[in-house]
Amino acid sequence: MGKIKVLTGNYSAAEAAALCHPDLIAAYPITPQSSVVEYLAGLVHDGVIDANLVQVESEHSAMSVVQGAAAGGGRVFTATSAQGLALMYEPYFRMSTLRFPMVMALATREMTSPETVWSGQQDAMSVREAGWIQMFCDSNQEIVDMIIQSYMLAEHPEVLLPVNVCYDGFYSSHLTEGVDLPLQEEVDRFLPPPSFHHAVLDPDHPFALDPLTPGPILMKYRKSHLDAMEKALEVIDEVDKKFGDTFGRYYGGAVSQYRTEDADVVIVTIGGMTGTGMDAVDQAREEGIKAGLLKLRFTRPFPAEKIRDALKDKKAFAVIDRSVSFGWSQGPMHMEVKAALADADSRYCHFSAIGGLGGADISIEMMMETIRNLDAHKNEPGERETQWYMVD
Amino acid sequence: MSYIDILKEAEDQVTPGMSACQGCGGELILRTVLKIAGKNTIVGIPPGCMAGAGVVGWNYANGLKIPVHIPLLDNTASFLTGLSQMYERKGRGEVNMIGIAGDGATADCGFQSLSAAAERNEKMLYVCYDNEGYMNTGYQRSSTTTKGSRTSTTPIGAVINGKQQQQKYLPLIMSMHGLTYCATASPSHMADFVKKVEKGLAASKKGFAYLHVFSPCPTGWAYSPEKAIEVARNAVRSNMFPLWEMDEDGYHMNVRNKTPISVKEFIQGIGKFKNLTEEDINSIQQIADQRFHILMRLAEQGME
Repeated sequence: MGKIKVLTGNYSAAEAAALCHPDLIAAYPITPQSSVVEYLAGLVHDGVIDANLVQVESEHSAMSVVQGAAAGGGRVFTATSAQGLALMYEPYFRMSTLRFPMVMALATREMTSPETVWSGQQDAMSVREAGWIQMFCDSNQEIVDMIIQSYMLAEHPEVLLPVNVCYDGFYSSHLTEGVDLPLQEEVDRFLPPPSFHHAVLDPDHPFALDPLTPGPILMKYRKSHLDAMEKALEVIDEVDKKFGDTFGRYYGGAVSQYRTEDADVVIVTIGGMTGTGMDAVDQAREEGIKAGLLKLRFTRPFPAEKIRDALKDKKAFAVIDRSVSFGWSQGPMHMEVKAALADADSRYCHFSAIGGLGGADISIEMMMETIRNLDAHKNEPGERETQWYMVD
Repeated sequence: MSYIDILKEAEDQVTPGMSACQGCGGELILRTVLKIAGKNTIVGIPPGCMAGAGVVGWNYANGLKIPVHIPLLDNTASFLTGLSQMYERKGRGEVNMIGIAGDGATADCGFQSLSAAAERNEKMLYVCYDNEGYMNTGYQRSSTTTKGSRTSTTPIGAVINGKQQQQKYLPLIMSMHGLTYCATASPSHMADFVKKVEKGLAASKKGFAYLHVFSPCPTGWAYSPEKAIEVARNAVRSNMFPLWEMDEDGYHMNVRNKTPISVKEFIQGIGKFKNLTEEDINSIQQIADQRFHILMRLAEQGME
């Protein structure tokens, strides 16, 4: 049992990062993430934590500075959103391809244009091929727990990949909830210090980190990166169990489910919309619809098998995306769930729902419309038109 | 110890197989800096001629006898910031942290991270080998390219002749960052160069040290390789590339030309300047004179 605190999502991320003994934190502001690094700066300046704090001049340097510290064997942390993530894309991609473990909080935000600073998951979705592990939280408690779990996952010797802990900008980043914050000694017992050596620069063991690498060798690196992603699917479950055994909170691994056991129709959610989705499922049940919810917790690696299992006996599903896939007139996670099922069109009634872009609301009523639509057509396999959660 | 003895006795840190062009200024600069720095060093060399020549390694092999990483073209100073702070944290602050980057990675796309690391006074020695262009990709214009130069992106055309703008004078800009040490150097003045590398390394244990080194490039500039040192010397003699430093006592002019040669004389025999008009030459001369005047004033200020 830890300390009960009332925290915003951003403070939750900062408190959790502080509990993990980071060697170096890079701080640069961007809405809606800024208060993560402000809070950590306060902890460093008050002497509460012993971390190096670098107030960089951009997100590009934020990721570059933590990359340098990781090349010195350090445990590192930073946070960003949207345009900041776009600016850091170059060292971001390299962090994963150098196989440096780290954790970065991503308070998700819609990408400009039109000019916006509000919530959306387009930023995270647009970097899903950058080699990072990517997971989404829907409560401040989950943010705390996943920052701590993610260091264990990232530093696992058969994983060695950076992890993005994503949560919805403003909806999670700025709203407060009661959080059970683990005690330092509990975290210290759970999480050992970092011990990765594969890419650590040291005059005592001189080597070239990233020499010019021709295709045949490079392909081996890529294959091993993909193998590590596959391995991560197992390690996610192991860490979830280990964390649950220690702290009493289990999340179910790469996906979690709500009232799906006997469900005919399932809505698939990502991040903060999940709470609304659970309310919608409850309401649908009261109307006599056998509805359930599948929450995608990890999107990289993509938990295809778990999704297949969860939807095995179901008749209809809709994936609610807070982002779009340009070129497909759908949400990206709907595309990927379909790909995981392979035979979606012949077995399920299904469609993509898109909502909540640029901070727009996703209401219970919108999700009810999705559930009613699925229920009405559940015996007609095939893909239906994308539903847009337009707010008039 | 004289600089000749220092260079004679120091171990070369480059492995066989390095493939720079004949007469490359960058190679001489790299070998000299790393010889003086020695084994207890980590070096970052971003994309550019030195990386392309193989010193960052190839396949599974290293191109140096010391640990090396090829950072991104634009993040050498911020990458080394993290590494340097981590080494300090581990109680190994004595390890030399060195960046060796071309002018593109320094003055252009790398300038943002460089400027920030210098302003934070991060502990490292950053060496720019300035060959006035993106030589490794076939000599495209950079912000340090001298006006009128023929480059791949500022060709001699029927309407427009070479680069239209004056050179950005980076070392003076760097010296205004509140850093610990800042100097210019040239491979034509080895005693001065060696001393500045030593001072820079010592300063890098306290804060940011910046060395801006003239790097003549026979391949890009179009002159015979054996003239490399002569070209570098003429750059200093003409005040196109004055040798000065800024340390805790202020600015110092290290080489004072009693009778400087003209810009016209400096450009003789350098192919990239072949199409300069009298007007171009005069405007470059004017900039060189102005710059030297400012530097002299700064140096005199330091002497008071």
